This record gives sequence, C-alpha cells and structure tokens, in this order.
Amino acid sequence: MTASAPRGPSPLLPLAFLATAALAFVLAGLALPWLAVELSGHYYHPRLVALTHTLTLGWITLSMLGASYQLIPIVLGRTVWSERLGRWEFGLAAVGVIGVVGHMAIASWPGFLWSATLIGAGVLLHVLNVALTVRGLARWSFTSSMLVTGFVGLVLTTMFGAALGVEHVRPFLPGDFYARLHAHLHLAVLGWVLPVVLGVSAHVYPLFLLAPPPSARVLAIQAWGVAAGVPAVVVGLLASSALAALGALAVAVAAVTHVLWVASLLRSSRRPGFDAALRFLVAGAVYLTLDAVLGVALAFGVVAGPRWSLVYGVLGFGGWVSLTIVGMMLKIVPFLVWYRAYAPLAGRGRVPALVDLRWPIMERIAFGALAGGIALLAAAVGVGHAAAIQGASLIVMVGILAFAADLGSVLHHLVPCPLRAAVRPS
Amino acid sequence: MALPRTAPVRPAELAAIPAARCVSLDVRAAIRSGEEPFAQIMAAVAGLAADQVLVLRTPFEPRPLYRVLGKRGFAYWTEQGAEDDWSVWFYRGDCTASPAAPTPAPRTADTIDVRGLEPPQPMLAVLERIERLGPGQTLTVVHDRRPTFLYPQIEARGYVHRTDEPEPGVVRIVIERPQP
Repeated sequence: MTASAPRGPSPLLPLAFLATAALAFVLAGLALPWLAVELSGHYYHPRLVALTHTLTLGWITLSMLGASYQLIPIVLGRTVWSERLGRWEFGLAAVGVIGVVGHMAIASWPGFLWSATLIGAGVLLHVLNVALTVRGLARWSFTSSMLVTGFVGLVLTTMFGAALGVEHVRPFLPGDFYARLHAHLHLAVLGWVLPVVLGVSAHVYPLFLLAPPPSARVLAIQAWGVAAGVPAVVVGLLASSALAALGALAVAVAAVTHVLWVASLLRSSRRPGFDAALRFLVAGAVYLTLDAVLGVALAFGVVAGPRWSLVYGVLGFGGWVSLTIVGMMLKIVPFLVWYRAYAPLAGRGRVPALVDLRWPIMERIAFGALAGGIALLAAAVGVGHAAAIQGASLIVMVGILAFAADLGSVLHHLVPCPLRAAVRPS
Repeated sequence: MALPRTAPVRPAELAAIPAARCVSLDVRAAIRSGEEPFAQIMAAVAGLAADQVLVLRTPFEPRPLYRVLGKRGFAYWTEQGAEDDWSVWFYRGDCTASPAAPTPAPRTADTIDVRGLEPPQPMLAVLERIERLGPGQTLTVVHDRRPTFLYPQIEARGYVHRTDEPEPGVVRIVIERPQP
C-alpha cells in the first residue's frame, strides 16, 4: 500500500479552454447564416476557410485540449505535469486562433504565419506537458494510447497547416493544391480528432451509461483501423487514390465498430433514461455513421464534386464532431463547476446536484435545433440552394445559442453569491 | 389511481425508526426536468449507514428500484401521497432494531463501494461519510479508479489517506481521521 499525496487538478484551466471554445462555436454559429451564399458555391472561399478554422481550431481543438486537462487525471490516475505550462499554452493558442481565423478571412498570409506560429507553440507546450505527464507510465491502456496518437496527429496537422500557409507566401510544395488541402483536413479529423474521441469514449461512455467497458476485440479493431487507415488516407490523398480508398475503408471499419459498440452500450445500460448529454453523444455517433459511409463513397468515386464534399464536411464537423463535443461538455463543465464551487461544502451542508446547475429547457432546444438543423444544413448545401442554407443555418444558430445559454447557467455558479446557497431540492 | 403493492399501513418496526435515522432524497424535480436520478439514488444508498433508512420521494412508483435494491439486501415500503407523489422507505432487515437497545461500540472501520457511480456521486458519498468519522476511525473506499479530484478535498479537511490496488481494476482508498 502506497501513501499518496497528489496535487489537486485545477478545474479553472480546462474551464478556460472550454469556455473559449464555446465562444468560438457561438461566433461560428452567428456567422453561418451570413455565409449562405458562399456555402452554396465552392468550398474554397476565404470566408469558408475562416469559418472552417473557427470550428476546427477555435471550437474543436481548444475544447479537446481543455478536456484533456480534465480527463488525463481521470484516465491516467495522475495530475498533469504543469498547469502553469497549460496556462501559457492556453494564451498562445487562443491568440493564435484569433490571428489565424482573422487573417484567413482577409487572405493575409504573412499575418496568418505568425498566428500559426503561436498555435504551433501552444500545441508543442501541450504535447510537452502530456509527454512529461505520461513519462514512466507503467500500464498503457487503449485510451492513453489513443490520446498520444491524437496528439501526434495534432502536431503533424499543425505542421502541415503551417506549410500550406508558407506555400501561399513562397511556393515550395509539389503536387496538386486541392490534394494537399484534403490531406491536411483528413489529417486533422482522422489523425487528431478521431483517435481522441475513440480513446476518451472507451473510458467515459461506460461510466456515463453504467455499462460494461468495450471488449479487447472492439478496441483492437478500432486501433488497427486508425493505425492502418489514417496514414493510408492522408498519403493516398497526396499520391494514390487507390491507397486513399483502402484507407477510407479501414477508418470506416473503425468508426462503424465504435458506433456498434455505442449501440451495444445503450442496450446494456443500467440507466433508466438518458440525459441531454447522452442524447448528443448518441446523435454524434449516428452522424459518424453517415459521414463514414459518405467518406467511403467519395473515396471510391461513387459520388464526387464540391457539393458532396461540403455535405461530407457538414456531417463530419457539424454532426459527428460538434454534437460529440457538446455532449462531452455537458458532462464535463457541470462537474468542473460543481467541483470548484461546491465540493468543499459537500458533506458539511446541502449542495446542489449537477442537474440543478443546468438549464433543461435550453438543453432540449439545443438538441432539437442542432441535431435536426445539421441534417437540414447538410441537405441544403447538397442542393446548393442559398435560401435553404440560410434557413437551416438559422436553426443551427438557435441550437448553438441555446447550448451557450445552458453553459452560461452552469458557469455562473462560479460567481460567489450567497443567494445561491443550498439550492438542492428536498 | 394505482395503489402500491405494499402494506397499506407502515410496518411497526419501520414506524419505530426515529427521523434522525432517515435519509431523505427527493428526486421529483430532477425527473420532471428530464434528468434521471439513478446515480444520485445509488450514491445515497452507498452512503447509508447500517442503521439508516432511505426515504425516496418520486413522481411515480419506482418499481425497477425494488429489484435493484432488493439484490443489495433492502426491503421497501411504499406510500402514495398524491397522484405524482410517492414515498418509498428502503431499509435493511437489521436496521429496525429497537432504539432502546444498548448502543453498539463505536465503529473503527467502515467500507463504502462507489464503483459504477457517475461523477460526482462517488465524491459526494465519500465526503458525506468521512464527515461522520470519529478521531482515529477509518473509511475504506472501493473505487474503480484513482480519484484524483477527491484527494485534495480529503487533504483539505485534514484527513490522511493511502491507496492501493488489491486487484486489477479495483482501487482501495483508506481514509483516516487523525487523532486530535
């Protein structure tokens, strides 16, 4: 038996990342209806590239970096090596995202480069922090392996993105411009986001659903799908469409295995009902299935063209990734706020339950508008009808604002207020 | 109006239990707001001392809970106050000992199993239990992971703790309230 005196993980560091990420999501949601005309055209438009990076860097990457500061202590059973380093990382990444998105919107590439450098520095600090945290780890689980894989993918994506920026100022890269663009995007989604989602969900979904953990077979299929499929897709997009198609198949097998496992969890769950967070996570898994099928269809040439590519992007970023992150946030943020505001009082007096921190009506609006709105938006960009895109975008915007209102109602518990004491129903 | 399937009159041994030994949990608001309070209920059950009774208030008869808690050795008695107001007493067979019985010796060790509970229910259950520890008494927590968020809360309250893993996937934390 070993005595332990661990430092306590700070909830404020992940909350800073998550709140900033949510702000980026709101800004993207507000911009969406104004970009309906651009969305009805070709996807390579400066404003659409800026919107995409508001989502990929501001919303997705910042939320995943922040969530890792909450999840790493839980998954690895040890606190992060340096939260001070994490605060520096947050500052660099947040300023860098603003710079990258702003300069992309006005197609100013020198300005983009210094902003990308800031993000790169932030990413390196995060990877250094994680590396020093996992140093000497005796047991490597599927989750810890997938997290490390994801961080390697993040570094490669950042370097690839910076190289694409340099290419605008001083051309040096061989090959086709769109092939490089597609490879960069797939490295981000499949090399960074997918491993982290698979790894984290393998650990936390059984906790959320009160269900058994995934079998070794399920984990092995997902691990092999990522390990074999992601490099094949990225290299294949640059060099060989046949290789990309085979890689897409491998990734799709990993994704479908994950979705089937989620479905089996739902069947074996001991929970009598699902809260809003779980509904978002399940909806995200449904969108992952649709996106995987469309991705394979694009890879094999069954469908082609910028309209299908946009549908693929909407289903992936808007459906699978965004709904999954919303679901995760609705689990993580109330816990962190409760921990900061009420854990010191637990056992000594009445404290609110997590449900008391949330705003259920806003969660219902957010779920309906986001889960339904994304489907409508995918259909509208597929048709390429600007008015339909604008209508669907407005629904999505309402969903994002409702989600933000719900998060705000949770976060306001961090503000000291004597009137808020003992709110637990009894 | 559906009637509960238990005795219409509160059993005498249950009626004899003083209110101080009843732990009340009202989940009506949570259920009405769309939440499911299973984890909250199980945390309250995990936090019950051997002589305590859980009085659960729900907007409907919680029949699935009868079987779940029955497997844990709990009997139940149900009372319906209104169409959407049910109170269920969950109690162990040995908790109905006469209050006039001799006071047992103070417990020096206790165990709580929080595996399978969703955060923050394990932390809540543990913090509620350690507040009742006397000087020199210990609480053994059986967990499914090292609770890194719990440790600082325990330390801030002046308790000492040690952790080991007696078998893969099982983490045991022994928390002791130091002698003054």
